[in-house]
Amino acid sequence: MGLFNKLLKKERNRSVIIGLDGVPFSMLKDLKENSGIPNMSSLFDKGYFGKMNVCVPEISSVSWSSFMTGTQSGEHGIFGFIDLEPGTYKMYFPNFMNLKHNTLWDELSKEDKKAVVINMPATYPAKKINGALISGFVAIDINKAVYPTSIIPDLNKMGYRIDVDTMKARQDHDFLFQDLKNTLEGRRRAVDFLWKEIDWDLFIVVITGTDRLMHFLWNAYEDTGHSYHKNFLDYFKLVDSFVGNIYEKFLSLNGSKEDKNNFFMLSDHGFTKIKTEVYLNRWLQDNGYLKFQKDNPKTIMDIAPDSTAFALDPSRIHINMKGKYPFGKVDISDLNRVCEELKDGLEKLCFDDGNCVAKKVYFKEELYNGPYIDQAPDLVVLSHHGYDLKGRVSSPEVFGLTNLQGMHTQDDAFFFNSNGMQCNSIFEAKKIILESLKPKQ
Amino acid sequence: MNQEEQKRIVGLSLDEKINYSKIIITEALSRFTRDDLYIAWTGGKDSTIMLWLFREACKDLGQPIPGAMFIDEGHVFEEIIELVDKVKNEWNIEVSFIKNTDVSDKAKNVGDLIRISDLNERNRKEIEKLEFTEDTFPFEPESFVGNHLMKTVAMNLFIEENNIKALATAIRWDEQEARIKEDFFSPRNNPDHTRIHPILHFKERDIWDTIHKNNIPFCSLYYIGYRSLGAKGSTFKNSDIPAWEQDLENTSERAGRSQGKEEIMEQLRSLGYM
Repeated sequence: MGLFNKLLKKERNRSVIIGLDGVPFSMLKDLKENSGIPNMSSLFDKGYFGKMNVCVPEISSVSWSSFMTGTQSGEHGIFGFIDLEPGTYKMYFPNFMNLKHNTLWDELSKEDKKAVVINMPATYPAKKINGALISGFVAIDINKAVYPTSIIPDLNKMGYRIDVDTMKARQDHDFLFQDLKNTLEGRRRAVDFLWKEIDWDLFIVVITGTDRLMHFLWNAYEDTGHSYHKNFLDYFKLVDSFVGNIYEKFLSLNGSKEDKNNFFMLSDHGFTKIKTEVYLNRWLQDNGYLKFQKDNPKTIMDIAPDSTAFALDPSRIHINMKGKYPFGKVDISDLNRVCEELKDGLEKLCFDDGNCVAKKVYFKEELYNGPYIDQAPDLVVLSHHGYDLKGRVSSPEVFGLTNLQGMHTQDDAFFFNSNGMQCNSIFEAKKIILESLKPKQ
Repeated sequence: MNQEEQKRIVGLSLDEKINYSKIIITEALSRFTRDDLYIAWTGGKDSTIMLWLFREACKDLGQPIPGAMFIDEGHVFEEIIELVDKVKNEWNIEVSFIKNTDVSDKAKNVGDLIRISDLNERNRKEIEKLEFTEDTFPFEPESFVGNHLMKTVAMNLFIEENNIKALATAIRWDEQEARIKEDFFSPRNNPDHTRIHPILHFKERDIWDTIHKNNIPFCSLYYIGYRSLGAKGSTFKNSDIPAWEQDLENTSERAGRSQGKEEIMEQLRSLGYM
């Protein structure tokens, strides 16, 4: 490389982003005040640290997709972890191949800039990238979760893990903490490895263990007497060290001391305690909107022709429209009336504690626009904190509980930037990050 | 077939199971002429013992063995080709090698994008049938579109072009939940033909016992830990010991295959999404 180009590289801005899946702004604020996260505490004081809103539904596949494309589902095509094959009731799992919009790193590669992306949810199977990509949840096979494949042996050797063993961890909480630690260590080694291996302009790593812990043991955080309370806080201390370690490496980059480089942190949604789960398909059945062909339906494919609407996980309502679905019942001329009626009913749905479940019931046009709006649900429910909406097909009652303790929130994610750049909505993040990488005069 | 009958057949001794397969095959050979029936052969352990069963039955009947159909789905293990060559020569099998070249010619490497408008009418129509609306798709034999074009369409074209009336395939009841409903003779349409499934009742363990007892050749990949062989880029092994020495009864045969739907569902379910 010529001297001029070397100088250009030296002059460039670099950005680092650490994602903490599911970590609420309110929790970080609380931990900050209680000295639970010393590195992040001092870091957050150095720049802008604030609350951030995310998408609806507020789940990771949709949220991280919105983050990486800077747009909403009507443009990027990802509406949930599951979706239906067009014109059918057959379920499929949208993956990275189904993402329809340019990502942050696609834009960078147009300018010959490189990105390292570690553990980004919704990027499986891995696609070619100018740099390196390791897919995050849901990624079932490491051999399809990495680009370039040449680094797979290195990742295996360093004990890299895509995720904790969620099935085992949900039932065995001792194992959960052990696995969280092991996974975080593997993540850290991957960071150290790719930091040196690739000459990156943008470095992104996402921790997903935080989300797992809060799903399974939210109560261990809130309840200071909980037997796993200390383990919970210790895990966050480990995450804090992880952040501190990367921040140190960041500071030693050319340009960091002069604030030419940017350090970002964010989450893709917040978390809160589950008061009750809410099974929307049961509600639809109880109110005459949904019928199944059998007594124990397994999937939406068991839907009966005389159905008006059905729900897809977690909070999406699809109207069973003529011409759209095989057993379509509702005429397009009737669509608005049916939507209004459902919205009305859902807004009146209350739990035994007397509180309304729904904070807002959105029409699709209020949330989405773009080429993929036809795929969108007709209504989406945003619940109040504590009421965890589910699209489970069969349930004896509208309300119930499982052993899951934490649920997602839409309005309590966080954003941090070392140079004071603000971001209130996850849809804005891509633009801000691209801005940070532009050379400054 | 009812559950009880299924259970009974699955509970037979190995020799009884082999006999039962030969009965199915004999029945098939009486219903269809040699030219109308093909044996679907992948070079994997199951279809190779099915081929062997046909060979044994034909020896008993003094009849020539039907031809085999081998689908090259675009990413075949060299070791599979080796096995197919060896067996084809040793047993004197006529093998028709088929490939959806209209698709595979458009991609240099697995993963390369193919433009749908570059494909022939049949392939374009088949993609329309899937209601796939993109302009391009990656050449990935085990993906939704790839699988359909490189396996299903290739096979259907072969059946149509050669007026095939029956196709024997080596599926087993214990492989996947979806297979439990299959019967030994199964009519299909589009194109119309009959499927013959001579080894439905074999368990994974039975396959290996048959192979070892009768010295049936098998692909070398099974020696080094592979349990199930699909397309090269999407088949992995979870062990280094020979397939038959692994804990067949308690671990998943297809764990190294990329279909993964059940695994995805499990992971989503564990976090409350489903």
